[in-house]
Amino acid sequence: MNLDDRIAAVVAAAAKVSGLGDLTSQSVSHWIALELGKFLDGRGPQRYGNQHCLAFPLSPILHIVSGNTPHAALQSLIRGVLVGAANWIKLPKRGLPELDTYTRALPKEIRPELAADLRPGWMEEAEAIVVFGSNETVQEFSRKALPGQRFLAHGPKISLGLVWGRCEPEVAKGIARDVFPFDQLGCLSPQFYYVAGDSAEFACQLSKRLNEHHSRSLKPVREGGISAALRAFREEWKFRAATEQGVFLWESVGNLDWVVIHDPDPGLVNNPLHGTILIKPMPSDPELVLSPIRRFISTVGLYPVNLELVNLAVRLGAQRICNIGQMQNPPLTWHHDGWPALGSFVRYVDVEGLGG
Amino acid sequence: MTTPLETEVLHFLSEPEEGGFDALALAIFNYQRRENPIYARYCEFLDTPKQIDSWERIPAVPQGAFKRSALRSFPAHQTKTEFRTSGTTGEGHGTHFLPSTRLYEAAVQRAWDYFCLPRHRLILLMPHPDDAPFSSLSHMGGILAKFDRNRFVIAKNGEFELDRLREELMDHEEALTLFGTALAFLNLFEKVPELRLKLPPGSVAMETGGFKGSGRDIGKHDLYDRMSLHLGVAIDSIWNEYGMTELSSQFYSRGLGRTHLAPPWMRFQIVDPDTNEPAPPGRIGLLRIIDLANLWSVLAVLTQDLAIAQPDGGFLLLGRDPDALPRGCSRAVDELMRYARRTG
Repeated sequence: MNLDDRIAAVVAAAAKVSGLGDLTSQSVSHWIALELGKFLDGRGPQRYGNQHCLAFPLSPILHIVSGNTPHAALQSLIRGVLVGAANWIKLPKRGLPELDTYTRALPKEIRPELAADLRPGWMEEAEAIVVFGSNETVQEFSRKALPGQRFLAHGPKISLGLVWGRCEPEVAKGIARDVFPFDQLGCLSPQFYYVAGDSAEFACQLSKRLNEHHSRSLKPVREGGISAALRAFREEWKFRAATEQGVFLWESVGNLDWVVIHDPDPGLVNNPLHGTILIKPMPSDPELVLSPIRRFISTVGLYPVNLELVNLAVRLGAQRICNIGQMQNPPLTWHHDGWPALGSFVRYVDVEGLGG
Repeated sequence: MTTPLETEVLHFLSEPEEGGFDALALAIFNYQRRENPIYARYCEFLDTPKQIDSWERIPAVPQGAFKRSALRSFPAHQTKTEFRTSGTTGEGHGTHFLPSTRLYEAAVQRAWDYFCLPRHRLILLMPHPDDAPFSSLSHMGGILAKFDRNRFVIAKNGEFELDRLREELMDHEEALTLFGTALAFLNLFEKVPELRLKLPPGSVAMETGGFKGSGRDIGKHDLYDRMSLHLGVAIDSIWNEYGMTELSSQFYSRGLGRTHLAPPWMRFQIVDPDTNEPAPPGRIGLLRIIDLANLWSVLAVLTQDLAIAQPDGGFLLLGRDPDALPRGCSRAVDELMRYARRTG
């Protein structure tokens, strides 16, 4: 199947699942051109500086995907299909219905093979291995990878928000848009917000706005153990709110939909996620406070976005910087975890001596 | 000096009266709300009415509160004993302060009487209380063994005194009770894998606690199989003591798949984690415990353990779900920090 047909197939199948963003023939062609120029379109060596260049897919690509963010799996597959690779997908224990739906919508000749367990030969024969998951999962597969295979690890990440300003309605809406998708479990889901100025007042306003406007029409399905851990966490912070200066807590009534906690200590603390919004005062030296997790930082949401704050986020280690409210919507062209999304799936061949 | 309320609780522990629990629980609650300013603030935060009419409405502090605050219902200068949690979760120790161990000791003794637990020779897989002064479990062992150092077979440095243990286990024909943490039993079986005892008839093994922070995790069936194999006791002769540093009394269960039962001065509720209200019968929820012997701190504690209430009045303990949090591609901050330190 040629590139144009693959683009058309990827775009048509995307209509069957939600949340894949701006996936049109035009946007995909633009993305490919931006990352790979014309190297992929089969017209032979193309001029590249003083030499010529072609790109070939690494094929097959083995995708090890995780259960909590199906869109990461879909994006990985789409990248593999676009570059023209054969794709094998090892599914998480409980499967990924979105991936099944998408796959069924693809033409047979570019459909990936899906399996709950690694099939014999997959690890050995793959030219590229992409792993989404915990550090342990990444380490397990990196040990199994062979020399010469391209190994792309999307390990665990932490995302956060930085706010200068009051909790205006659009900021509160933006925070809700960033926190609630995927029940806050994605690597782009913010775990906490640093707020310059009166962070406690910001948290209070945020909770009021969530109380007024936020209702989760699609209730996340959580196992009992998760609910129990969330309840235990909330009750402990409730105790802290009752007994410690500057700690405040507001929560949805009669359920575990959301909680806003103001912690006056800017230090890093655990967040059990699943609708838990931690608001903290902006540290006097954010770089120092965040240094222990610097290499795990993914997306930093900003309000407002300006060059000064962008530079701060870059210094903190952000891989992606965006407006608050857009954290879950990376553009098609983003460099997921800092790499070229399509370029990582191809092998470049440089040709010298062909002349002009 | 014994206070009137302490005397009343001690009396209830010795001679529990049907119907007396509620009144005593409410009296303790009122006392604690008056004498414990931190608990008073917590009650106020929860909008707890000045007067409540049932033990079921007594606000329970989360277990973690003992890590954050000194929950004393007596003047701090009267503190005589401190029991501390192990701190294995990396968030520091929780501390239970006591002005006297009278209630604690009475609760241990009366519960063993209540459950007809054997009073024969004890071998304690734990350090002596002098070597572990902040361990409530060692103190419990001390109470049961009259603080006889010879009954304790773990040294101050945490190592087994194996020669003495062998001697104690092999040179006697009378029934005995072997009591220790599940982790201590596991350590013993790993240290002496060839251990194949046949404890004298009537002997009992009692395990307590989990494997938190040890990096190990084996299921209860597996643990009991190993205990039965290495100690030569029937699984029905293995008991579990479910307690915690934050409480003064314990629940007990016998064998596998059985419920944990409370002595008459303890009650429990199963809380629906979604609503924070009592769970309907048969539903899994968080275990909330009322312990009348917890006079000196707070009598109601919300644990982090899951359980299901059973028709016999006990509960089936499920414990914490180790996989509940964290999860997926976004991870807990402390886990990533630990990982960064390990690999950095």
